[in-house]
Amino acid sequence: MNNRNEAFKGTISPEFVRKEALKNNIVLLVAAIGLAITYVIYLLVSGEFDVNLFLVLIISSVIIPYLIIASISALYFAAYRRNFSYIIQENNIIINHGVFTKMRATIPYKRIQNINIVCGVFDRIFNTFTVKIETAGHSAVSSGTKSRGIGPEGYIPGLKDPYVIENRIKKMIFQSSLPSEGLEEKIFRPHELAFDNFISYILSKMREGEFLQTSIKDLREKINMSASQLAEKVGVPLETIKYLEEGRYNPSLALAYKIAEVLNCTIEELFKLK
Amino acid sequence: MIRGVFWSFGEKFLKFKTIVKSHIKEIREEYNLSQQELADSIGVSRQTIYYLEKGSYNPSLTISFKIAEVLKKDLNKIFFQEPKIKDLLKSKTLEELNKISSKVGIETNKLIKLNDITDDELDNLFTKQELVNIAQSIGMEFNDLFEE
Repeated sequence: MNNRNEAFKGTISPEFVRKEALKNNIVLLVAAIGLAITYVIYLLVSGEFDVNLFLVLIISSVIIPYLIIASISALYFAAYRRNFSYIIQENNIIINHGVFTKMRATIPYKRIQNINIVCGVFDRIFNTFTVKIETAGHSAVSSGTKSRGIGPEGYIPGLKDPYVIENRIKKMIFQSSLPSEGLEEKIFRPHELAFDNFISYILSKMREGEFLQTSIKDLREKINMSASQLAEKVGVPLETIKYLEEGRYNPSLALAYKIAEVLNCTIEELFKLK
Repeated sequence: MIRGVFWSFGEKFLKFKTIVKSHIKEIREEYNLSQQELADSIGVSRQTIYYLEKGSYNPSLTISFKIAEVLKKDLNKIFFQEPKIKDLLKSKTLEELNKISSKVGIETNKLIKLNDITDDELDNLFTKQELVNIAQSIGMEFNDLFEE
C-alpha cells in the first residue's frame, strides 16, 4: 500500500487513565490527610474530644467528598481516553478530543515548528510519554500545561512509544514539503518537456487568448489516432494535446518537434501563426 | 513507419533523446544583424537570443515562427534536433574517446558512430547495456541521453 495515502490512526494507552487516577488520588489524599489533621488539632485544642463526632466529621467532610471526587475524576479520564484519537494524514494531523465539548483540532504540517516529547514524574511510573506539537503562533507547551481538556494544539498524552509518532510526523512533514508524486510524474517527466507540461497544467486552470492555428486534429484523425494515443507517444498529458488542438496553448519548439515526429509531418503543417 | 506499428504492441526501441539547436548565430551574421537588432525585430529581450544561440533555451513556437519570419527562412533551416550525446562527444578528445570505449568494452569507431546515426541504426548497433555504460562513463544517466 502506498505509504503516502495511509492514514495513521491512534488512541492513547489505558495507562493514561491509571496515571491520571494516581495523580489525582495523591493530590486528594494529601488534601484529605490535611483536613483530618486539622480536625484532630481543632478537637484537641477545644478539649471536647468525641470519637463518634470525629468519625462523623471525617466521613462526611473528608472520605465521602474524596470518594466522590476520585470516582468522578476516574470516570472523566476514562471518558477522556475514549474520546481521544489522533489521525496522522497526508497533509495534517487531526486530534479529536473533549468529553463534554467535542473538539477536532487540525494541524497542517506546514505550521508545525517542533515536536517535544515530555515524560513527567507520573509518566515515568507508568512509562508513558506526552507528545507536544508546537505550531507557529501557538505554544503547545503552555496550552498543554494550562488545562488538559481545552485547546491543546498538538497535545497527545499517554503514549507508549512516542518516537514512532515523532518519526511519522517528521516523515510526513518532509513529504508534504515535496511536490506530490503524481504531479511530478505527470508534469516534470520527461525532463525536456517539463516546461510544456507545467505550462499546460497551469493553463488547465487558466485561459489564454488564441495565437496559433493548428491542424493537429485533422492530421491525427487522418491516421486514425486518438488524442490519448498521441499524448502517450509524445509523452505529455492528454490535456496538453487537447489544449493544443483548441489552439489555446503555445507549445515549445521541442514539443512541436515531437508531435511532428509522431504525426510524420513538418511543424509548418501542424501550426500556423494567426 | 515500422517503428510506429511496433509501438502499438508495446515493443521498446532504443532512441536518442534530442535537444533543439539553432543556426541563428550563423544566419544572423549572414544578414549582419546584431543580437540586439534581431531581438528588437522579434520583440524579445537580447538575453533570449543569447540563450537561443547557446542552445540552452527551448523557445516557444510563436517565438520560433517570428524568428523564421524575420530571418526569412524555413523553421527547419533555422532549428534542428540533435541527439544530446552528440554535443557531449564533440567536446571529447580522441584519447578520452579511447578511454571511454575501452571502459565500456566496445571499439572507438563504434563509439564515434553515435555522432551520426539515426534512431533505427542506434537500435540495431547498440544494446541497452552498452548505452547505459556509455552514459555512465560520460557522467550521465541512460535516461538523460536515450529513451526506450
